[in-house]
Amino acid sequence: MGALGSRTAKVFLFAFAVLLGACNRSADEIKVYRLAKPSGEPAPMEKDAIASTNAPVRSTIERVPSANSNVATPPNWEPQPLSEMRQASFLVHGENGATADISFVRLGPAAGNVLDNVNRWLDQLGQPPVTPNKLSSMVQKVPTPLGEVNIVDLSGKPENGDASKDGRIVAAIASDGTNTSFYKMRGNAGVVGAEKENFIKWVVAMRSSSGEQTVAQSAPLTSDKPQIKWDIPFGWSPAPASAMRYASFSAEGKIDISVVTFPGDGGDDLGNVNRWRQQIGLAPTDESHNNIASLRASDATFSTIDITGANARTIAAWTRKDGRAWFFKITGSSSAVEKEKPNFVKFVQSVRF
Amino acid sequence: MLRKTVDLITSLKLTIACLSAAMALIFAGTLAQVHLGIHEAQQRYFQSFFVWWPRESRGFKMPIFPGGHLIGAVLLINLIAAHARRFRWAWKKLGIHLTHAGLIIMLAGGLFTDLFAVESHMRLTNGETKNYSEDTRLDELAVIDTSNPEFDQVTAIPESVLRHKRIIEHPSLPFQIVVKHLFPNARLQMADEAVGGAPPLANRGVGAQVIVQSLPRATGTDEQNIVTAAIEIVPVDLATGATQESLGTWLVSDALGAPQTFSWMNRTWQLTMRPARYYKPYSVTLQKFTHERYAGTEIPKNFASQIALIDPERSTNRDVLIYMNHPLRYRGETFYQAGFQKDDSASILQVVHNPSFIAPYVACVIVAAGLLVQFGYHLVGFARKRTAAT
Repeated sequence: MGALGSRTAKVFLFAFAVLLGACNRSADEIKVYRLAKPSGEPAPMEKDAIASTNAPVRSTIERVPSANSNVATPPNWEPQPLSEMRQASFLVHGENGATADISFVRLGPAAGNVLDNVNRWLDQLGQPPVTPNKLSSMVQKVPTPLGEVNIVDLSGKPENGDASKDGRIVAAIASDGTNTSFYKMRGNAGVVGAEKENFIKWVVAMRSSSGEQTVAQSAPLTSDKPQIKWDIPFGWSPAPASAMRYASFSAEGKIDISVVTFPGDGGDDLGNVNRWRQQIGLAPTDESHNNIASLRASDATFSTIDITGANARTIAAWTRKDGRAWFFKITGSSSAVEKEKPNFVKFVQSVRF
Repeated sequence: MLRKTVDLITSLKLTIACLSAAMALIFAGTLAQVHLGIHEAQQRYFQSFFVWWPRESRGFKMPIFPGGHLIGAVLLINLIAAHARRFRWAWKKLGIHLTHAGLIIMLAGGLFTDLFAVESHMRLTNGETKNYSEDTRLDELAVIDTSNPEFDQVTAIPESVLRHKRIIEHPSLPFQIVVKHLFPNARLQMADEAVGGAPPLANRGVGAQVIVQSLPRATGTDEQNIVTAAIEIVPVDLATGATQESLGTWLVSDALGAPQTFSWMNRTWQLTMRPARYYKPYSVTLQKFTHERYAGTEIPKNFASQIALIDPERSTNRDVLIYMNHPLRYRGETFYQAGFQKDDSASILQVVHNPSFIAPYVACVIVAAGLLVQFGYHLVGFARKRTAAT
């Protein structure tokens, strides 16, 4: 029995040790890791670029909210100051001081429950909540280029509410799994009714590729990024921004123009140039200094470099101003970039800090 | 003493006790799903070593019942130890040994799957590329240092840490994160739209314009908790370790879209509450999602995702078709076609990392072989006896 007991005890200890090892889970640990920044190479080239240069994969989920939109609005919609929450804001005036407030807010994917939001708005109008069955009869589905939006038209009289500024809400909710967009017009029932058609047209226009996802001429409204101005050349279209890009444009559908800014000096020139060289399949070099030229703009002097790889060409211009580094870059096929080079130079020269 | 211990861990009484405890645990866990939801009940009752009371507490907690892992582990040890003690090698018992070995592998595989398997999802729109999957049931506070032009440094703090620690310090952060409020589920409302109620919890970022309403934890399978927290950033003097004046309080929530930004010590940081991310050394691009229906109906016939798999480290660049019962297995992860967005604009892939996924297959084969040998042995013996008798 002694030998047998000893063997059983060893088996038990071994099993216990394996179990203890298995218990060492890391689910509650704080993790620290580094991610390469999204690179500026154009999307069509991304697949090849990754395979050949070990370039980082572009993240598409985090986007800096756009500060404004280049979607046209009716002339009687008076633009209002934006906040970090509101990415578009207007006020419409009616007769006898009546007004309606129009806003566009984009939140995360978890904010998209239509029933919860409708019941919240009903509560604001002093109305009882509705059931899912009742909701389905209240929602109007409107197709847009970015998918359907759910539109509701709610009326009520909130307690102590001012009838000249409250009493009706027309709102649209659109969710694409990554973001939830809220468009809302709330105000005097008559003004809201009169503007409902314009509001729906505006929502449809905003839900286009050049609508809510674009970064317009002014800069993204983040708390610590300064605003700069520039003149966008004819033929350039605002492109979806990413978390790292201050602004993006495309030309002829295949040329990528990016504006990136960082606090500090943004790294040494040689390192940056070699990184751009790698992005278009060129080997690093120590002789880039010889190819850096100056470009005089109204507010600053830019350093520029023009590099051409086997399949792509990049022209970059950068400057350091008020403790920040600014990088402007155009990338695409050699011939396309050559064609757009004059526009790019004009664009950089138009930058006003 | 040793003999008593050996007797205990090899006894049938322990087996019965464990099975009884397992029955009680399953009963209690099933009832708890009503209030906690399936995932939370699984975590607390079955994927734990103990069931703790009280449930939500940063202070004292005590175990009130063995959890699924403990019961399963004791059963496993009991089975191994009992088999080791009573093991007598004989060819005629080969079937019994194989069957027991198969059961041990199955139990161990189940335990290891519970401990090490990670399930997440990758949601891709047509043309979109991602190099991470997300766990929609676990959240993390990501504190991202974006100052370096080459890379972002991410400090990912799991929701469980926010739940259990009031002050969070980490070597990668030159500040403390003080968790002032944590809501497992909440509804956000614009402050200028709210009627009465409490003031905003935050004084910096978008949260300064938002009111938080606490909600009970979502328990339905199709419901999602909106984890929300108010966190204060308190800089720490790196030389002395002393805290300095607070930079303010931010609201972080699943329901807020873009990250919020602040600066400290000439470095720029982003704060965002998001589903926990699992980054991969390769990327997946959705080239095309197809959703076929039976003619004249909305009943799905087939849905499939044509993806491009790009792995710079292994020089892999290939197209793969993932569809029902035809997952992609790559680098220890399995991508299943799990779902799609209603308007077919996005495909949802389930990403499963399970190091012991092979265990049930191996176990089943061994148990089947053991039973075959055992019954075959008796059948042959019976046939011989019958022949001899006649």
